[in-house]
Amino acid sequence: MTALNRILAATAAAVLLAGCGGTSESGPTASPSPGAPSLTDAQAPPDRLVVDVTIEGGEVTPTNAQLRAAVGQPIVIRVDSDTADELHVHSTPEHNFDIGVGPGQSFQFTVDMPGRVDVELHQLHKTVATIQVR
Amino acid sequence: MTSVPSVTVLAHGLGGPTDLPIPYTYALVGAAWALTFTFAAVALAWRTPRFDPDKPGRALPQWVTAAVDARATRWLVAGAALLLTGWVAMAAFLGPNTAENPLPGVFYVLLWVGLPTASLLLGPVWRVISPVRTVARLAGGRTLGGRYPSWLGYWPAALGLFAFVWLELAAPDPGSIGAIRTWLLVYLVLTLAGTLWCGTRWSARADPFEVYSVVASRLSPLRRNADGRIAIGNPFDHLLSMPVRPGTVAVLSVLLGSTAFDSFSAMPAWREFVDTATLFGPPSALGQTLLRTGGLLLFAGVVAGTFSLAARATGGVDAQRRRELPGLMAHSLIPIVLGYVFAHYLTYLVERGQETIIRLADPLDRGWNVLWLSQAEVSYALTMHPGVLATLKVGFVVAGHVAGVIAAHDRALALLPKRHQLTGQLAMMLVMVGYTFTGLYLLFGG
Repeated sequence: MTALNRILAATAAAVLLAGCGGTSESGPTASPSPGAPSLTDAQAPPDRLVVDVTIEGGEVTPTNAQLRAAVGQPIVIRVDSDTADELHVHSTPEHNFDIGVGPGQSFQFTVDMPGRVDVELHQLHKTVATIQVR
Repeated sequence: MTSVPSVTVLAHGLGGPTDLPIPYTYALVGAAWALTFTFAAVALAWRTPRFDPDKPGRALPQWVTAAVDARATRWLVAGAALLLTGWVAMAAFLGPNTAENPLPGVFYVLLWVGLPTASLLLGPVWRVISPVRTVARLAGGRTLGGRYPSWLGYWPAALGLFAFVWLELAAPDPGSIGAIRTWLLVYLVLTLAGTLWCGTRWSARADPFEVYSVVASRLSPLRRNADGRIAIGNPFDHLLSMPVRPGTVAVLSVLLGSTAFDSFSAMPAWREFVDTATLFGPPSALGQTLLRTGGLLLFAGVVAGTFSLAARATGGVDAQRRRELPGLMAHSLIPIVLGYVFAHYLTYLVERGQETIIRLADPLDRGWNVLWLSQAEVSYALTMHPGVLATLKVGFVVAGHVAGVIAAHDRALALLPKRHQLTGQLAMMLVMVGYTFTGLYLLFGG
């Protein structure tokens, strides 16, 4: 039953979030539509999913983390790194971010289609997380 | 962009997302249906064999056969395929080293999933479109007069299929244009050399794609009658015409085992294990490749081992017959393989297939727009409806299972002595249930 409840909850969340639209950075739908109704309580903006990533001496934490997000929910990857790398988000469309050296680099994106999306460090060949987007 | 001369490292060698796991309830319902049907089939179904490979199908009008077999049609289709091969070769050698290159999509989607789909719908199409066969025909069919050793059977094809899935699922960088290009060149050289040496028998038995195409075509309702006319018949009659040769079970085991391994490799526990294992010294690309190769071999080996044992597990047959049984039952694996392949690769075929065809319109990423394809939009309808997708996937797995069970049941009636017909099938049915439960479990994501 718990699994079913989880699915129902996720579906309900997705339905709620669907009303809010995404804040895609790259898509052509980035600008809010002019006639959008003002937010009511039931349509509160979705919480962001924040993933903290540390790259230190060639080691990454976390690796292969299992996360869940809703379609259109903003996802923020916060990186502390001692080396330059590239962050690849294997969604449709793909998102690529350049990571520099330094703490507190934030990269935000949304995933607009359901699926399992890998977040990957290109140079280190490591999968940071797999996000189940529902 | 970067100093590393490769495209992104990706599962399957293609970028982009993968399917969500199917919901738990879907997996359970599918498993329940599979189990119920299996034992209903063994206990309640017919008691004398019904399927016969020699039973003629309902013949289509004569002009269909005439049109399909016309020399002009053959040359037209083969020529178009040869042209497409050249087009893809251009992308392979001159195309960009980025995700815009259509080569990985052509290789992993159009060839690997598209070919069995076309063969299931139309028959063994690779015989017509294979560039190697076309070249051999252009050379007038001359050979060096070698004889294909019959003990080799389908073993070279099984090896070739394994080499394909190895590149896709075990190699360090499956998306690398260079790696795919090398694989295809080796394939072309080997197949061409073999065909020049001992004629088209080499293509028929050693070309992995032709053998895969023949395997898939045996479940097709379209077939040829004994007089050569194209007919529509019962796929269960057609399945029995799968040639039994050394290596038939190996071919099917590689196909089923590798698809299961593909699902399995997405599991976080396995990924973490591969990333951190110190079996071959500190974590390295080589060690990870060895681990994945071992996993792939294990999956294919488990399928081959369990199937062969289950086929032999019957009373009342002599040692000679017992050795032949796995081969004689092998055709019943075909629906299970195809059901699982379609469950696993459906979104790949439909959505990545569209992306690939659009990329083919501009193979060198120079803004070409062949056939106005660049304006086309990919439809992601399947991905956007995860419930429909999950239902389809479970449907494919269960349908494949049910067809496999029916084929195995009927074949057991023909092969096993009367007294052992019921008990002699039990091991096979249990093994098939095992494959299906494992498949559903892996689609559910563990």
